[in-house]
Amino acid sequence: MSVRITGIGIVSAIGLNVAENLFSLKNSKSGIGRIQYLDQNGDYLVGEVKSSNQELVSRVGVKSQPISRTSLLGLAAAREAWGENKHSSGLRTGIISATSVGGMDQTEHFYRDFLDHNNPDFQVLKCHDSGNTTERIAAELGISGYINTLSTACSSGANAIMLGARLIEQGRLDRVLVGGTDALTQFTLNGFRSLMIYDDQWCRPFDESRSGLNLGEGAAFLLMENDKSVDFSGNKTLCCLTGWANAADAYHQTASSPDGKGATMAIQNAIQVSGLSALDISYINAHGTGTKNNDLSESVALLNIFGDNCPDFSSTKPFTGHTLAAAGAIEAVFSVLAIQNGIIFPNLNYSEAITETGLVPITEFQSDQPVTSVLSNSFGFGGNNSSLVFSVNNS
Amino acid sequence: MDSLKEDLKKHIIEQLNLEDLTVSDIDDDALLFSADGIGLDSIDALELIVLMEKYYGIQVTNPDEGKVAFLSINTMADYIEKKRA
Amino acid sequence: MYITAASTISHQPTFKNAGFSKLIEPLKTDSELISPNFKDYIDAGLLRRMSKILRMSVTAAKDCLQQAGVDQPGAIIVGTGLGCLQDTEKFLNNFLTIEGLLPPTSFIQSTHNTIAGQISLSIGNHGYNMTHTQNTLSFEHALIDAGLLLVEGNDNIIVGAADEYIEILGEIGEKLSANPAINLTSGASFFVVSKDQSGNSIAKIKDVVTVGLVQDINVSIENFLTNNTLEESEIDLVLYSDFVDSGLVSDVVKRFENSSEAINYTNLVGIYPSNSSFALHYAADRIQNNNKIKTVLIINGLNRINLGLTLIQSIEA
Repeated sequence: MSVRITGIGIVSAIGLNVAENLFSLKNSKSGIGRIQYLDQNGDYLVGEVKSSNQELVSRVGVKSQPISRTSLLGLAAAREAWGENKHSSGLRTGIISATSVGGMDQTEHFYRDFLDHNNPDFQVLKCHDSGNTTERIAAELGISGYINTLSTACSSGANAIMLGARLIEQGRLDRVLVGGTDALTQFTLNGFRSLMIYDDQWCRPFDESRSGLNLGEGAAFLLMENDKSVDFSGNKTLCCLTGWANAADAYHQTASSPDGKGATMAIQNAIQVSGLSALDISYINAHGTGTKNNDLSESVALLNIFGDNCPDFSSTKPFTGHTLAAAGAIEAVFSVLAIQNGIIFPNLNYSEAITETGLVPITEFQSDQPVTSVLSNSFGFGGNNSSLVFSVNNS
Repeated sequence: MDSLKEDLKKHIIEQLNLEDLTVSDIDDDALLFSADGIGLDSIDALELIVLMEKYYGIQVTNPDEGKVAFLSINTMADYIEKKRA
Repeated sequence: MYITAASTISHQPTFKNAGFSKLIEPLKTDSELISPNFKDYIDAGLLRRMSKILRMSVTAAKDCLQQAGVDQPGAIIVGTGLGCLQDTEKFLNNFLTIEGLLPPTSFIQSTHNTIAGQISLSIGNHGYNMTHTQNTLSFEHALIDAGLLLVEGNDNIIVGAADEYIEILGEIGEKLSANPAINLTSGASFFVVSKDQSGNSIAKIKDVVTVGLVQDINVSIENFLTNNTLEESEIDLVLYSDFVDSGLVSDVVKRFENSSEAINYTNLVGIYPSNSSFALHYAADRIQNNNKIKTVLIINGLNRINLGLTLIQSIEA
């Protein structure tokens, strides 16, 4: 399988566009810091996008309100990925976004006012549902027809990319904008605190001393096109999506299985779809949230697949924070950047390997690397595991 | 101590939605997290940590400490007594 | 794509009641969810934490598997417009009002994919597991995904949709001017779909399309019929829903008036974002119980900006 990726866009804690993100990655500059924008007490470490809602509104130029921060972030990233592309009645264009919170950033303010009988603004609830988040982005970009939203917790973004590829493979669409977006909310911050997996220090993926995640926010989109669409657009192929898979762990509502079953199946199947062998993978952008459970289970899965020959791997969550439904899309853009530029990103905040597995991630930025294929993992609540394989364009 | 255990069982049934159980169904030494006992899981463990703070003012900061303390009603009651002493 | 099993829990006597389509009357304003005994389907250890939407969904999904005689489906695909509202509201309430530690259960179960996740967990399924949430088109998107998977070689897929009513929705509906004459309700409909026809096949899903930000409903319907080489007169039954009281879709339905029976299914099952999944079950039930009905068109216009079109045919057609 092979689907062309011809455009990328991203907004995260480390930058408001692709160039800014790349600069931060090259300079090991994390975007995680104390809360600046979210209306939440406490001294938590978060990966916020460094822009207020007002600034985002004027940046993306939306006129109608209300609009959620989730839509604003998504729109900024989708605009960049869409670029100067033109609409054409001869091309079936779709959009698939992923979100876990939808308009919760607005709803939680409404609900506080509702509980306090403080004149709650019911109008903001129009942007609560996740589907609306995507409809707003589609409307601004002039896309109609196939407009869809996936919500599978932390694997959502990867699943949106996978679904887009399948729709193109089966000829249902000629081009599709795929990605994910999630704003930081009190809801999710308090949620991960209640699970006791929120680290009050910097998250330390794949480190023995890891004790939880730091949440982030952001969005990323990729434009995928078939040959007919590329003939029309003339777009250059950045790289290809060659493999994808989703599997259920069916072990526990939140925890991953100790034998990494679902993760192993997702990785194995994605590599199989790509037609490559495990040895062909040059770099793995791991899910690596920094929780005890995920990183151990993912490490076990990597050993299951790669044995003693585990490729270079790292988690980029210490840069961006865990951006939930956007994570798979943000890390897909990083995967594209790795292939385009021959670079591998460092796993920040690492010092000691996990005792049970001994896997050591890449800790320094690497350039001039022959990066031909990248595996990107996204694993979520409910045992929802997805893996994608990105490869250099050989056609 | 017996009234503490009775209390504890009531709170556990309520907090964990153990709709089918009554206080008399839970033996003091039944293993809470064993399938042969009450069959609780790791989500329940977190709920028990919340329960300890809510009703007994005890903060279980280390989940591993909870694992030992939450073996049975007996061990939970002992833990509460010790923390209160 | 063939439907080999169907199960619905709703405000009507739909559950384990083949032939319900002949019996049910328009919904009364004081209707309530008709719940089966969930304990017959769900392990007590899992059931105790489950909200209404989870109980309905896992039960309907398991009922489908029993009907189809399938132990493990090839995949589980769920559509939900608003997701797990009961747990979402509970956790909102908790973190806004509780000082100190927060109970995690409602947060864990607030995510949309809890439904598909709980189905996989309750039967130990490791297959493709997906959740679509596109407003009133969530179910149609789940069906399209199932269709893709069947082409890719997957089979015996559980596909369904669910949404749950919570009290605050009534107040929100009034404030945001939804139609107060029709009940806001809860419902879950699940199906097993397979690639090939078999002895279990109930009906065939010939085509499904979604039109987001729809511009002209008439043109979309014409294109859909043309693509399926069908004339309006060949549709025996039209099932439709209409946005509030706009009458947009009921006007369109008039074009079928001469040849087809037309039913607004929202009057039967009430309003919830994925109620077109009920319409699919209703269509299959009508086809099974009346051999004159061979072709059914579902026009989902519940939301003004979204259009869903589903074409169902009898096995013989």
